[in-house]
Amino acid sequence: MLDIKNLHVAVGGKEILKGLTLSIAAGEVHAIMGPNGSGKSTLAYLLAGRTGYDITQGSVTYRGEDLNTLAPEERAAKGLFLAMQYPVEIPGVTTLTFLKTALNAQHRARGEKELDAMSVLKFVRKKAEALKVSEDMLKRALNVGFSGGEKKRLEILQMALFEPKLAVLDETDSGLDIDALKLVAEGVNALRSPSRAMLVITHYQRLLNYVVPDRIHVLAQGKIVAEGGKELAHELEAKGYEHIAGKAA
Amino acid sequence: MNAPVPNIFADAVDARSLPDWLSQRRADAVATLRTQGVPHRRIEEWKYSDLKTALEPANDSIAATAAWSIENVPTGVTLFDLADLSAAPEWVRAHFGKAAAAETVPAASLALAEGGFALHVARNAVVTEAVRVGLSANGHVRALVVLEDGAGLTLIEQQSAAGAFRNTGVEIVVGANARLTHVRLAQAAPNNVQIEDVAVRVARGGLYRAHLFTGGAELSRLTLRMTLKELGANAELSGVSVLGGSLHADVTTHVYHAAGETQSTQLFKHVAGGKSRAVYQGKITVAKGADKSDSRQTAKALLLGERAEADLKPELEIFADDVKCAHGAAVGDLDADSLFYLRARGIPEQEARNMLLRAFLREAVDDVADEAIRATLWQSVEDALPRAMVSAL
Amino acid sequence: MSSAARDTKKQVAELGEKYKYGFVTDIEMERAPKGLSEETVRYISAKKDEPDWMLQWRLGAFARWQQMREPTWARVHYQKIDYQNAYYYAAPKNTPKKQSLDEVDPKLLETYNKLGIPLHEQMALAGVAVDAVFDSVSVATTFKAKLNEAGVIFCPISEAIRDYPELVKKYLGTVVPVTDNFFATLNSAVFSDGTFVYVPKGVRCPMELSTYFRINASETGQFERTLIVADEGSYVSYLEGCTAPKRDENQLHAAVVELVALEGAEIKYSTVQNWYPGDENGLGGIYNFVTKRGDCRGDRSKISWTQVETGSAITWKYPSCILRGDDTVGEFFSIAIANNFQQADTGTKMIHLGKNTRSRIISKGISAGQANNTYRGLVSVHPKAANARNYTQCDSLLIGAKCGAHTVPYIEARNPSARIEHEATTSKIADDQLFYCLQRGIGQEEAVALIVNGFCKEVLQQLPMEFAVEAQKLVGISLEGSVG
Repeated sequence: MLDIKNLHVAVGGKEILKGLTLSIAAGEVHAIMGPNGSGKSTLAYLLAGRTGYDITQGSVTYRGEDLNTLAPEERAAKGLFLAMQYPVEIPGVTTLTFLKTALNAQHRARGEKELDAMSVLKFVRKKAEALKVSEDMLKRALNVGFSGGEKKRLEILQMALFEPKLAVLDETDSGLDIDALKLVAEGVNALRSPSRAMLVITHYQRLLNYVVPDRIHVLAQGKIVAEGGKELAHELEAKGYEHIAGKAA
Repeated sequence: MNAPVPNIFADAVDARSLPDWLSQRRADAVATLRTQGVPHRRIEEWKYSDLKTALEPANDSIAATAAWSIENVPTGVTLFDLADLSAAPEWVRAHFGKAAAAETVPAASLALAEGGFALHVARNAVVTEAVRVGLSANGHVRALVVLEDGAGLTLIEQQSAAGAFRNTGVEIVVGANARLTHVRLAQAAPNNVQIEDVAVRVARGGLYRAHLFTGGAELSRLTLRMTLKELGANAELSGVSVLGGSLHADVTTHVYHAAGETQSTQLFKHVAGGKSRAVYQGKITVAKGADKSDSRQTAKALLLGERAEADLKPELEIFADDVKCAHGAAVGDLDADSLFYLRARGIPEQEARNMLLRAFLREAVDDVADEAIRATLWQSVEDALPRAMVSAL
Repeated sequence: MSSAARDTKKQVAELGEKYKYGFVTDIEMERAPKGLSEETVRYISAKKDEPDWMLQWRLGAFARWQQMREPTWARVHYQKIDYQNAYYYAAPKNTPKKQSLDEVDPKLLETYNKLGIPLHEQMALAGVAVDAVFDSVSVATTFKAKLNEAGVIFCPISEAIRDYPELVKKYLGTVVPVTDNFFATLNSAVFSDGTFVYVPKGVRCPMELSTYFRINASETGQFERTLIVADEGSYVSYLEGCTAPKRDENQLHAAVVELVALEGAEIKYSTVQNWYPGDENGLGGIYNFVTKRGDCRGDRSKISWTQVETGSAITWKYPSCILRGDDTVGEFFSIAIANNFQQADTGTKMIHLGKNTRSRIISKGISAGQANNTYRGLVSVHPKAANARNYTQCDSLLIGAKCGAHTVPYIEARNPSARIEHEATTSKIADDQLFYCLQRGIGQEEAVALIVNGFCKEVLQQLPMEFAVEAQKLVGISLEGSVG
């Protein structure tokens, strides 16, 4: 599904990722853990195609295609979804309108039939209930006045609506209390499937208690410095990043 | 005494026989024309709108009178045709032409127009049906709107895109606790010169609300001069300008807080594409002793074209200390984070830009309480957007 | 603090008294004949022993000036200046300077002490020859030695014209062209004093340069000309003015300050000025038509203007930055205080020409008594100036119900990628803020000074340390009697 080989990425002229290699197959859930400044969000933005993140070396292949040649909306239409750490507020654009526009844009790009307003509403309502996204939130401007938890739930709702092939979750747990975290984790787990891959980026091990990964990669100073199974998360929690990174050095 | 400044308006002044109550007012206006001349870009207030140059090709419209039409006169509203000034009722005699001599543009319409309309709403009459007035053809035209204490009215002013030159001079008197909602729609009129001066006086507890849509013209200038004369008088202004091609739109406002506990709010959004020019000059004056006044103003502009221009000048002139005044102005591009968010969810770039552009303008239209008016304003925006977006980025 | 401030005020008033009765000159002056003509220009040039190219430059300017018309200043009324009825050159004859502080009027010294002016500055102000006081290793000599070591040139402009003509020729008039405006043209013809600074490539000027350390420090001239050039990668911080009341028999000043920052260089220009406040009716304040402009000529260069001005002065032109190079930065930080009947008029222009340019404007205006404070600014982004960024914050603090504040910002954007943000607020000293201070034992005037300093903090932080301390005190003194 995703094949990253020796990836070097520079942001504003400064190299952040310094040779990252990683592979994820369909059906797998991988986690990337790392201290602040290690390049976690850089990887997330790079995969989604944000301007200002430049590949200086190496490659990223998504489902056989060179990701670098695709614009952000093209990546989305091809099933790549990024749940953002800080979802943006867009006053003047209602949530529902936004969802309909995005859904249909993706259908259009794939040559599929677009949905009418009624169908979208029905579709959205169905998925919204499980994530406790209220009708009111759907009518309000996108993310405006939403609490941290509400914003994250809306991100997961979108993931459920767009049915991506590769979902990248960038610190989805940041700023959430236990209850909100559980709800979000349930939503993520509900979307696990043999044809879908997930890349969960997190700083704390907490989320991984609920969204149990198949493999954990430790990112430090722009590179993967350690890898392991789910037990690695506990080891990190107990011993800290420096210890693990030190061990690898 | 300065020598008179030769100019196109002063030259067009003719002798007229007017009722006594009006002759002095007209004479004052003519005097203004002679001493001030036609504004040009070296006059600070007209820095971004060189009227003199735009009017240079002298033409017949300078002395003509433009046309006006009102479809409906609801109950509670009295309409008086200003063509026959000798029959003017008391409320016309009391107010008409009093605010004209201050500046050249209103002075010109008073001195040269031979017609116009006047509307009166009786004390405590709250009129629910809006009055729609259309202004068209070439020349000058006057208007007077008087709301007695406690009255209420919505006026929808539609400026026709046709007519090479039109100068509209409006005077509005809002009585104590009266409310006027003034909607002005001026669709794009390339090749034409459209100027308008609106002088408003608000009494105790009164409210003047204006919602503007400006599509621009070769030179388009709207001057809104509001005096919040007595305690608790308020003004609420919102407007959008959507320009493309070589259109120009100058919206200049001046709110004068003459008394305490007066409030004013302003929200203006401008979109300039192609090689158009959006201008906003918003001056707020708070007089000495106008304590507990509150004045807020926000003006934002978005440039869509490499050759478009936005000029913003929010001005504050404060002479009282126990007041709250704030203004903000910003020029920017569409927010990059928002753009990325939409694209990352599959919305193609152009469509994403369109969404954000509409979101930007929506804020200035959303606070219009009346749904029908909101829809009309928004329709004007939608109609004007394609031109603004031509050859945009 | 309060009583000291009261004393200071009294002394300043007394100085003013002396001033009113016709300045008692204890210094002999050498003057050019009255009036302004080609002869005057030649006289000045000759007195300064200038090379011919400089004389020609002046004459060219004078010829232009004769064709120009004085601009009318809308907001201010002043008596029409009779240019022929003034002296254009006055220099003290070789008067022996005082040998020690003992010879200076003790009252004057008291004033300086209360304002916290450092000893050596006091001496310079009082006309004491700095060298005479110290031993051979005088402060000034060490200072000059350090600068020489670094290769920094810091001298009067007349000296630079003689000793470094190539440098002067290369940069003079390139930021403020001779024909720029009426007063700049006049200045170009008759300037007689001023500072020249040149910082070589890669040099970080080892200390802050201040006018009073200028050797041969003379009275501030009527037509000062300053030129500061920071070569590639260099840094210099320059301080102008002082907190002692600036008194001068000349009512009209037309100075020109040009700053040139080459690639990667940075110039910091700070001004603390306490203008003569004028009489009780506010008349007699100084008209200061200064043209101050900085050219961020090279990429990645930076120019910052910081000013704290009190008293009554009406300025004609405003410190500006031309952001010519790519990735250049321009800053303007200002505190303007006007009390009693004073008028303050300040502002700035940020002209964005290059790519990725940034400018920041923080203006704090404080009005008290029946004073009026005006901020006038321009932020202009040219069509080719991609990715320009500006942030402007204009705050007005009104103390009392009889003063006024006027903010007039012009924003002109001609490039779609520009981001310009302007905010302005008006406030007063809240009763509860004052009460809180009083309740905690802080006296009324000190409380006002405290609150006002808080209001101005952002700008005060930009000043070099020594100036900042003086400026803070100045702020307190200027608002004497404004509350209660």
